[in-house]
Amino acid sequence: MLSKSSILSIADISAEDVMQIMETAISFRDISKREIKKVPTLRGKTVVNLFFEPSTRTRTSFEVAAKRLSADMINFTAGSSSLKKGESIMDTVRTILAMQVDLLVMRHSHSGAAGMVDSMIEIPVINAGDGKHQHPTQALLDLFTIKEKFGRFEGLKVAIAGDFLNSRVARSDMMLFEEMGMDVTLVAPTMLLPQDFSGFKIKSSIDDVIESTDILYMLRMQFERQDRKFYPSVEEYNRFLSLNGSRIEKMKDGAAVMHPGPVNRGIEITDEVMGGRKSPYKNVLIEDQVTSGVAVRMALLYHILGQ
Amino acid sequence: MTDDYRGNIMSIKILIKNASIYDGIKAKPFKADLYIKDGIIEDIDNYIKADSKDIRIIDAEGKALLPGLVDMHVHLRDPGFEEKETIESGAAAALAGGVTTLVCMPNTRPVLDEPALVEYVIDRGRDTGINIYPAAAMTRGLEGSQITSMGLLAEAGAAGFSDDGKAVADARLMFEIMRYSRQWQKPLILHEEVYSFSRSGLVHEGKYSTSLGLEGISSLSDDLMISRDIVLARESGARIHITHISTRGAVEMIRQAKKEGVDISCDVTAHHLFFDDSCLESFNTNFKVKPPIRSAEDRAALIGGIKDGTIDAIISDHAPHLDTEKNTTFRLAQFGTIGLETLFGAAYTSLCRDDGLDAVQLVKLLTSSPAKLMGFDAGTLKKGKRADAVLADLEAGYKVKAEDIVSKSKNSAFIGQQLYGSIIYTISNGKIMYESG
Repeated sequence: MLSKSSILSIADISAEDVMQIMETAISFRDISKREIKKVPTLRGKTVVNLFFEPSTRTRTSFEVAAKRLSADMINFTAGSSSLKKGESIMDTVRTILAMQVDLLVMRHSHSGAAGMVDSMIEIPVINAGDGKHQHPTQALLDLFTIKEKFGRFEGLKVAIAGDFLNSRVARSDMMLFEEMGMDVTLVAPTMLLPQDFSGFKIKSSIDDVIESTDILYMLRMQFERQDRKFYPSVEEYNRFLSLNGSRIEKMKDGAAVMHPGPVNRGIEITDEVMGGRKSPYKNVLIEDQVTSGVAVRMALLYHILGQ
Repeated sequence: MTDDYRGNIMSIKILIKNASIYDGIKAKPFKADLYIKDGIIEDIDNYIKADSKDIRIIDAEGKALLPGLVDMHVHLRDPGFEEKETIESGAAAALAGGVTTLVCMPNTRPVLDEPALVEYVIDRGRDTGINIYPAAAMTRGLEGSQITSMGLLAEAGAAGFSDDGKAVADARLMFEIMRYSRQWQKPLILHEEVYSFSRSGLVHEGKYSTSLGLEGISSLSDDLMISRDIVLARESGARIHITHISTRGAVEMIRQAKKEGVDISCDVTAHHLFFDDSCLESFNTNFKVKPPIRSAEDRAALIGGIKDGTIDAIISDHAPHLDTEKNTTFRLAQFGTIGLETLFGAAYTSLCRDDGLDAVQLVKLLTSSPAKLMGFDAGTLKKGKRADAVLADLEAGYKVKAEDIVSKSKNSAFIGQQLYGSIIYTISNGKIMYESG
């Protein structure tokens, strides 16, 4: 059993929970490697993907995870347009609850939305991303990926680079990585850092960390999504904050590159690093993260619904 | 029988015995009897004998008798948003909170920018039993582009001028409003905000906006506009009143400007005194207010400003909104909390009980001081004055509950809070208009 039935923020998950989830994820990882990738664990349970914001990766990952556990999975994608038409989030949630479902996986572009829904309903909620607030399952799958690669957390140097202002992934990762004893450094220019991340080491260029870090975690940089375009240009970003071939060559032996996906090629990571069918650099763990995602989400569904 | 004391009978006599009187003037409370007859405070003395049988006698032993509170910043939402509040429902909420005189803001629909609209509010207010004074808009439609007919509005009864909810971004226009306002002897009540800094912000920009992923409103949003308006007021000689200050910077700048002789005053809301931004962790949208509830450091500076006299008044900034406008995500929720009913309790609890402020000081900030700023003959308990008074039990605690709210809207940031200083009676214009329980 986890300490809370809903997973809204990394703050809801104790260190003990994390260990349990990691442990369970290992066995589910192995199930996904079998020829018959399915166990009957959650037969008869209904999980709803309730996405108020477009997403392919996270939604698909939850769907695969639920189906491999034999749960029924329903996708409910409410475009933000229906909200503008006056349908409130709660009206949508009420409609779904009336169908007697067992768990909501929810994404919304507003911070706090998953918590708001959770406070008003009885069934558990997994936050699959709420605005700029939290994306706890991403952080857990990142942690699992790190565990698989390094076999430990304590003392690992992690540099997270990019747009912290708009990133829920960063907020969840920072919290979880610190909790697990990793040494976290943030790499960002002033205008992409929120007011108060005091307490964290902050660097302004990727060159400041590239040689020393064990893990370089690249965030998505969406120029079009900036609230106001304070960051000057892609050229400027490439010069100080992108991962290119010459930078990746400078990384320590065994150091890893991670990214929550999808990568904006040519912005935070160059084509030469990303490669074609696969990256020419074997320390790029982006696909491993996706694989971990299914295992970790299976583990979460199992702990919440299966026990 | 109680109707005899409430109804419009010719002679209403109320004798309040043994009250601890905070008269809004003296430096110490004193124990005395207070006699009200025909709407006027007939006498205040050590012992007043009930000379006839038709006197309602209230034993106020151990209770505090205060002037009726003066709240210089209320949104009554009427005309135009009567589903949120009306002049009548707002007055009822005011009475439940001990408020007998209030200034209502002009951001109604239509905006109070024409004399007839000011007269409408005054007329409707007259029937409520409390004293309602509308502030008129400074610019037409609150659009920040053309000065309203301030002279005609003043003649129609506007108590002051405000574009509350908005700031006049155009500096030259603000300067002209200030210069012109001197002719009408009415205060300018200024909401201070620089939009390029507040933008689409939702909460104070700081530790909690960072961790919660909510767009921040920098303190600089307030501070830059306040500094501009201090410069303009110094030059124009206008009397300006900065409303709902929220930042340490505001307290410091206004303190300094007062020293330099600028004709400036300011107020703070009870919720900015009571809460700091750690309350946001609940994502409770009743904490979405403008200006935002700021850091613990800002709150401490506001309390410092109260204690050293930089801050002249405490207000509710009562801002009613419908459940559907608040029961949503932080981004979609409207700004504002109601506050008339909790004004005294919240201010008394945070300032006197928790922070050691003398209750005499608090009473002045809620009565005689705002009355003086607005030029109202109110806010004191004196022989011969209109009988607006509140009897409160400073020791009595109560928990704020949604179901007890009198206002038409229930969006109170204080729901669930334990407050002290409960209102027992509110007397307005010589009549008992509210009685607790």
